[in-house]
Amino acid sequence: MGPVHHADAMTSIDVRDLTKEYGTRRAVDDLTFTVPPGRVTGFLGPNGAGKSTTMRLVLGLDHPTSGAAALGGRPYASLREPLRTVGALLDPGAALGSRTGRDHLRILAATHRIPDRRVAEVLEETGLAPAARRRVRTYSLGMRQRLGIAAALLGDPEVVMLDEPSNGLDPEGIVWIRGLLRRLADEGRTVLVSSHLMNETASFADHLVVLGRGRLLADTSLREFIDARVRPAVRVRTSDPDALENVLARHGHQAVRHPDGHWTVPDARLDDIGRLASAEGVPLLELAAAEGTLEQAYLDLTAAETEFVTQSQEA
Amino acid sequence: MPFAPVFRSEWLKIRTVRSLLATLLVLFAATTAFSALATLDPEDQDADPLFAALSGTALGQIAAITFGSLAVSAEYREGAAVRLSLTAVPRRGLWFAAKAAAIAAVVLVVALVTSLTALLAGLAGLGDAADGLTTADQVRGVVGGAVYLTLMALFAAGLATLLRSGMATLSVLIPFVLIVSFVIGDALGAVADFMPDRAGQTVLRSVPEGTLGPWTGLGVTACWTAAALLAGAWRLRRQDA
Repeated sequence: MGPVHHADAMTSIDVRDLTKEYGTRRAVDDLTFTVPPGRVTGFLGPNGAGKSTTMRLVLGLDHPTSGAAALGGRPYASLREPLRTVGALLDPGAALGSRTGRDHLRILAATHRIPDRRVAEVLEETGLAPAARRRVRTYSLGMRQRLGIAAALLGDPEVVMLDEPSNGLDPEGIVWIRGLLRRLADEGRTVLVSSHLMNETASFADHLVVLGRGRLLADTSLREFIDARVRPAVRVRTSDPDALENVLARHGHQAVRHPDGHWTVPDARLDDIGRLASAEGVPLLELAAAEGTLEQAYLDLTAAETEFVTQSQEA
Repeated sequence: MPFAPVFRSEWLKIRTVRSLLATLLVLFAATTAFSALATLDPEDQDADPLFAALSGTALGQIAAITFGSLAVSAEYREGAAVRLSLTAVPRRGLWFAAKAAAIAAVVLVVALVTSLTALLAGLAGLGDAADGLTTADQVRGVVGGAVYLTLMALFAAGLATLLRSGMATLSVLIPFVLIVSFVIGDALGAVADFMPDRAGQTVLRSVPEGTLGPWTGLGVTACWTAAALLAGAWRLRRQDA
């Protein structure tokens, strides 16, 4: 990979009041957010929320109905050598099946006078070197994703934008891409990765931009997003359930017993429950903070959103 | 963004797809074989010897049209390769010009070799019947025939960009040059001389038949081609990719 970039030379993605209508349908609705360099931003939302459309608008492929998107303050179409600024994976099907993976990359590289040496590098980096001279139609979906990622990395870009890159990847590939995204962000690049998978996004994102029906639902760090929406809880296991329930009830905790025998105590702190159990002589087999998941936080957000939409439609 | 690297990229696109190279081979084989066979037919001996020797062009143009459509429609298949192309070259006019230039360059070279071979084969078949042909006629026939095939490939490329589909383009153009132009052409008389295929084919005649001369006829075809390319460029620039 190329030299480590410095923050002052880096490029952020700026989306301002962006709206895109297809006929009467609003795919993107007055969207404003910034994706800064140096961290992995997860672009989250269900299928059809407008993630891919937003990416196409940023790349100047679709024309916005109103608003604008810029890279380091400039529209994509005005970039002199766009592949050296932005690398994007939109659709792993973009490579023609009858070409070899290597030729697919050489065709892109030729537009920017990128040498074959660099093509070999990205093939190596994405693990495709052994398949480089095979026709793309013989590739698995995972290999096509890797080829798309290789194309995105070709110009050693400051901004990397990947649309659902883990689709079709095997478990090894998913671990690989996690490491790649982390490294790209650590090198100071701007990394925007869309996904509709919660656990997957939670495993690589530092920051989240969440869309629903084309609108911005959240633009916050992963941690804050979860903490703000999922109440903290404590997970406890004991050999004396009756005693535990008793003690907790006396101190005002509504503990919930789960079929596998463990309890969760909502709105409780680890220290309090530990001290309490110790003072009351309740034997504990396990005591842990129950971390909120992105999935819980997301479902909470979209539940609130659905309610809002329903109310405003009724009004 | 300079033109040369984008042209090179488009040239690589053509070179790396076997089916495209195969259409060029068909262009050569069909044109030369048909020219050779047509001149062996004794009934045609009193016809225009230049037109007889280059008569394979009428068949070869189908391969040229197919090449032009496929070279463009590869961008519009499932997966929308055109989006990837336009992220590398966001200036759409430049990109389209480079693609058209690459198509033109490849077809022109293949068509020149093809026309020359067809003429030589045709002359051999005609024997004495070709004695009246001047060198100027022969050069005009070979160069004009090659330019004609190139213009038809570009006409198809423009139409395929406008329609965003190779199949749609082929299902319009191939019946047109095979049937419509002949059937309607005879019915319409002088107007038919201005059809894209008929106009350009006047360049293949040693003695012009209709209202148009050889080079003006080719010029009419060039206008059709320019119109198709402009229409394609218009849709490409205006619409979402």
